[in-house]
Amino acid sequence: MTGGDDAPTRAGQGDAPSPADRVLAVPCEGDDLLALFALETGERLGEIPVGSHPVHATTCRGRTVVATMGERSITAVGPSGEVTRVETGVLGPSHFATANGELYVSCSAGDALAVVDPEALTLVDRVAVGAEPHELAVAPGADRLYAGSRREGVVDVVDTETRERIGAIDAGPDARVQGVALSPDGGRGYAVDQRGARVVAFDPGGDVAGDAASAAPVRGEAAVGADPYDLVATADRVFVPGRGDGVVHEFDRNLEPIAVREGFSRPVDVLEVAGERWVLDAGAPRLRSLDGAVVETPAPGLVATPAGEGRVAVSHYDDDSVSLVDVESGPVWTADSPAYPFGSVVV
Amino acid sequence: MTGKRSHDDDANTETRRGLLRAAAGATVAGAASTAGCLAVSTPASVSAQYEVSGNVAHFVGPGWLADNRDDVVVLDARGAEQFRRERIYGARHVPFDAIAARESTDGGAVPDADAIAAAFGEIGVAPDDDVLVYGASVGSRVTRVAFALAAVGHEGAVNVLNGGVSGWNGRLGTGSRDRVAATDYDPDPAPSTWVDREWLAERVGTFNGDGPGLVDTRVPEAYLAAAGSDALNDDHDRHGHLPGAVDVHWVGNVSGRRMTDPGRLVRLYEVEAELDRDETVVVYGDDNVDPTSTWLTLKAIGFEDVRLYDGGFGEWANVDGDRGRYPVETATNVVVETEGSVGGGDGGGDFSCTG
Repeated sequence: MTGGDDAPTRAGQGDAPSPADRVLAVPCEGDDLLALFALETGERLGEIPVGSHPVHATTCRGRTVVATMGERSITAVGPSGEVTRVETGVLGPSHFATANGELYVSCSAGDALAVVDPEALTLVDRVAVGAEPHELAVAPGADRLYAGSRREGVVDVVDTETRERIGAIDAGPDARVQGVALSPDGGRGYAVDQRGARVVAFDPGGDVAGDAASAAPVRGEAAVGADPYDLVATADRVFVPGRGDGVVHEFDRNLEPIAVREGFSRPVDVLEVAGERWVLDAGAPRLRSLDGAVVETPAPGLVATPAGEGRVAVSHYDDDSVSLVDVESGPVWTADSPAYPFGSVVV
Repeated sequence: MTGKRSHDDDANTETRRGLLRAAAGATVAGAASTAGCLAVSTPASVSAQYEVSGNVAHFVGPGWLADNRDDVVVLDARGAEQFRRERIYGARHVPFDAIAARESTDGGAVPDADAIAAAFGEIGVAPDDDVLVYGASVGSRVTRVAFALAAVGHEGAVNVLNGGVSGWNGRLGTGSRDRVAATDYDPDPAPSTWVDREWLAERVGTFNGDGPGLVDTRVPEAYLAAAGSDALNDDHDRHGHLPGAVDVHWVGNVSGRRMTDPGRLVRLYEVEAELDRDETVVVYGDDNVDPTSTWLTLKAIGFEDVRLYDGGFGEWANVDGDRGRYPVETATNVVVETEGSVGGGDGGGDFSCTG
């Protein structure tokens, strides 16, 4: 998740407004920095040391919060640049989600979600989940949170009122759950099994009570391209990029096949920009829409963030640069960045 | 055999080194020299290789025991059968299960000081006795006895015999144990020698950083939670290690039957594991026996405050209730390879967000 409670949202949730003074904050994993760029011009505004291996960022209560995977803490950067570390106690903070006014952080090197008070910037709890939790998804009512376990092949279900794991959905034998998403209405959940190259649909409100993971909420599954990682769920579609095969599978909400989009190099994400779905390709310097339109980018992109007005901020991980790309006219600007820019956020 | 063999009768005492006993009086240096010329081992040359020199605490060689034999209570940490077959003359057999006893507290499992003290009392150990512990080598059964004595606040000196019984070239005994008068061992529990689960839970996130050192003494596969590994304990609900722990397999403390070269141990723990000898260091394993090897080794090379998590990973992994308070880590690991280890493995999961 790259957005926050006051940030542009990601694919499927539309573009964001774009005041001229907005800043693109980019965690740069290789240099342990949060690099800041003027969104409109690409002017490099500075860098803030944030700790080891920053990978994703979100905004919360006026702060930019950075997941530093090499730490047992996350880092909050205030509007004036003040830095606060918030201990998680467990290594590998990677993804954020907000529920009930609290910030959940998956600690991907352990078996817990850290729960942070974003106002006080303190750890308020930890929720035990399956080992190596990764992506998080929150139900529309924010009463339940779903965390995929890379090691245990389950989607843990957390009651956000009590901050307790109330059960887990079994994604299948030897599953390695990476991406987790819910449809916008919360009626269907999805989990990507990277190891099995599958996507699983589940009932988010299904009965998962009990210590053992249950397959009862599972409503279907489908094969996808090799080495899938993330997925995007919209009101009526599910998109799963298969990085190893260069394809994007498109399903309806019940995982009935709609199309297999081919011809990508290493597709990693599907973004909604200017009313169209665009595929980010980590192996080719371009964005390509599902309708076949192509816009060249300065370099392949690993992560992208919608920036409003038909534009998307692209992190060129292997090229140590970031760019702002207009899907109609191409690159607006390109700027060098510290090493390995990753999941940016617009502040 | 039902007859009681007299331990006072050397001529009738069967030992595998009976033939060599005559050489026991030779000086270490002289015997070693002779052994070199003749290409044979003598009891004295064997003994000499287990002598301990330098600034090492708690580990003593056979020569030390020979010099102090009449002043120390000698405890045998091995199994009963080994004890009956051959032992250092006059040694008392430690009831091992009893000295590893735990009791449950609100904070978790801790050494059961009353049970441990009672066990030592049964074999006639008094709180102010100077004690020498030996085993087949300097493995964890030996060090557990040393820890148990510390845990009950033993006042006398506690040392372990480098090389174990194999290095001893003095008088040996065999057969059933000697009768000793029991003592009323009144324990003075020393909680500074251990930590419990809650002590650790309060410090999660600080280990080997701003807080205490923390050493996982298990094989790397257990520490790494290597999928499919035989090293994973089937009784555990969870696998991995306490957050921030560094893995140094305890067998690296032992080289054959003796302690690893102290210089190597200093490098291992201070340089490679980056532990600070002036700070508190906690050691743990699956149980409360093996990690005592590291507990005593660190103390021997000068670490001031070393403590055992007596509940061990077994307690942590299977704790009831709010497991978020007791997390385990699986990915991103620090394994310090030791000569006795089985390697780092790569089954601990990747540590990336790029897949």
